[in-house]
Amino acid sequence: MDLSAVPIGNYIALSSVIFFIGVTGVLTRRNPLIMLMSIELMFNAANLLFMAFARMWLHNAGHIFAFLVITVAAAEAAIGLAIVVAVFRSAKHVDVDDVALMKG
Amino acid sequence: MGVDGSYPYLLALWLLPLAGAIVCWAFGPQLKRAAGFIGSAVIGISFILTLLSWGAGTQSTGLATGGLGAHQSLGSWLPGFNFGLLLDPLSLLWTCIITGVGFLIHVYSIGYMEGDNAFARFFAYLNFFVFAMLTLVLSDNFIGLLVGWGLVGLASYFLIGFWFFKPSAVAAARKAFVINVAGDVGIMMAIFIIVNAVHSIGFGDAFTFAVGGHFSDATLFVICLCLFIGAAAKSAQIPLHTWLPDAMEGPTPVSALIHAATMVTAGVYLVARCAPLWSAPHNGNAQVLVATIGGLTALVGAILGTGQWDIKRILAYSTMSQIGYMIMGVGVGAYEGGVAHFFTHAFFKAQLFLGSGIIIHALANEQDVRRMGGLMKKLPFAFVAMTTGVIAISGIPFIGSGFFSKDLVIYGALEHGKPWLYALGIVTAGITAYYMCRMLFITFLGAYRGEIDPSDLGIRHPELAGTPHAADAHAHAEHHAGPNWFMTVPVALLILPTILIGWLMFGGENSPWAHFFAHQFPTLSPPLPIPPIGEGMTGLITFALVLAGIGIAYWRYGTAGAQANAVERLRVESVKMPGFLTHAFYFDAALDLLFVRTSNLLGTLFSRFIDPHVIDGAVREAAFSATWLGGLVRSFQTGLLRAYALFLVLGVACFVIYYAVFIGGPH
Repeated sequence: MDLSAVPIGNYIALSSVIFFIGVTGVLTRRNPLIMLMSIELMFNAANLLFMAFARMWLHNAGHIFAFLVITVAAAEAAIGLAIVVAVFRSAKHVDVDDVALMKG
Repeated sequence: MGVDGSYPYLLALWLLPLAGAIVCWAFGPQLKRAAGFIGSAVIGISFILTLLSWGAGTQSTGLATGGLGAHQSLGSWLPGFNFGLLLDPLSLLWTCIITGVGFLIHVYSIGYMEGDNAFARFFAYLNFFVFAMLTLVLSDNFIGLLVGWGLVGLASYFLIGFWFFKPSAVAAARKAFVINVAGDVGIMMAIFIIVNAVHSIGFGDAFTFAVGGHFSDATLFVICLCLFIGAAAKSAQIPLHTWLPDAMEGPTPVSALIHAATMVTAGVYLVARCAPLWSAPHNGNAQVLVATIGGLTALVGAILGTGQWDIKRILAYSTMSQIGYMIMGVGVGAYEGGVAHFFTHAFFKAQLFLGSGIIIHALANEQDVRRMGGLMKKLPFAFVAMTTGVIAISGIPFIGSGFFSKDLVIYGALEHGKPWLYALGIVTAGITAYYMCRMLFITFLGAYRGEIDPSDLGIRHPELAGTPHAADAHAHAEHHAGPNWFMTVPVALLILPTILIGWLMFGGENSPWAHFFAHQFPTLSPPLPIPPIGEGMTGLITFALVLAGIGIAYWRYGTAGAQANAVERLRVESVKMPGFLTHAFYFDAALDLLFVRTSNLLGTLFSRFIDPHVIDGAVREAAFSATWLGGLVRSFQTGLLRAYALFLVLGVACFVIYYAVFIGGPH
């Protein structure tokens, strides 16, 4: 099966769907772990687009950016999980709505 | 102006009084009584140096412009700002009076101020005043004149408030200073305009500029107006005269020297000095203004003089009236006449004030004429002194010096085409004779009324009206026996000039006076038309009115019948005194309403409305709007992580919509 036969519109559509699932997850869930996972979804939606366009234009910049995003995602997950652990240690729970310490 | 050269006498006579003032001030406690002798000596030496400088001051190169008198350069500040001293006949005359009459008054003060706690301070101030006055009259430029002008105001402030423990004296000093400073501002404005046009502060440059017709008519008028505001404030012309009667709070020698003989005539000097400005072509309005104010002041002062009870206030109003004559004289263009009246006035008014000082001193600081009476036998010397002064000021022909000089002024007004001022001058002369004789008769005739209860004499508030200076540091107990030599000799020396000095002005064109000023004042190119009334006739009319004035005064206060029921008469007159006399034509009230009340109102407006609501309000509004904006922004900071996420998403959505809708797809 030749992947190049799949039109670019399909990639964009799939990527958008994944992205909005991620967005919805971040906006609706109160568990930070789920939220981090949703963010991961959005990253991967972006990565999918990078790959698709790199393939379409036959250009390596897309691959490079995909690696960059993966790196950033790893760093983000590390910091995010560290925060979650810190919050859990002080508050004994991890509900994000209850940790509104920065309210102005 | 003036022949350039080095004149050590001129420098010395100018700076000696300053040295005296510094010595008396710095070493007062050590010098004690010697301060009086040092203070008098420096003025005496200054007077001798003035006489020695006579030749230099009157020298003339004979040219029409410049070359009259002595000019000593002092230094230059900027181009056009050259400072120097100028001794020409006009300033020579003033210098003679300042140092000569000043010397006599200094000597008199040794006796008058004896026993005062601040004896040395008094002489330091007097010497300082003489220095300031000499600076004023000897300067060859407007800035030097203004410096002297300000310094004499300062000296006047010091000396009116000399007895600073009297609230009335402090108030009078402050009033005099404030009004005088208002005048200083006028002169400053004139200097600004002159320097702007002429690029020089020298008198000579400004006058040459004016004579050449380089000023526009309007500019020249404004300059003259500004100068005259200064002159009016200093010389107590209406409506800026109200400080002068109050200035009598100072010691009597001060009243004689500063507020009669010299300082208050500075306005006359200024107009006479700036004669080329006033007499410049097309400047008739300025002359009319000055002369009219002078004439009105003469009349108003004389009328107010008729209603006073304080002997020094009577003399103060007469001073104001006589300066009105002088200003009228120099205002119409009869400069020699105005200056002549200054000259004779300096002698007879010093005489009158020093004579009244003898009375006040002998009566333990009693100044109310109602509590005097019958002093002819008690104080015969004072009687002689005061009588000569009254003869001179009333202008009794040939035996009163005021006759000649006043005649020059009155006749000068007619000659220069101002008949209404001529009439005003003659009428004022009659009133002058009346109120001066009134004072003389009440004070010296009849029986002594000092032991009578003040309320029987119509004195409502004896502690205010009579001003018995109970709190004075002035020790007077030992003086009741009579005046001492320090006081009598200067007065005796003044008697002769008071009577005779007017003869200098006798003889019209050929008089010594006319010769002295031959090159001083601008000459009129078409000679003045001969007026319909001759000079002799004018003298006769004036004399008739003077006699009438004396007659009315004698009828009211001098006859045997009037003397017999003097107590009742004085009481009735005090009670029935018309309001415009007791309130001095409401000038004080009008000035109060016009300046003090309006200033207060403006201040209240600013403090109650503008400041809290506009200025503070602006600051407060800035702070409030910052708080409000902060509150608005703060409401976004919910602290909810998901809310932040939502804002992010919305932001991204906005960008996406923007790019999708407005930028469009790839081309």
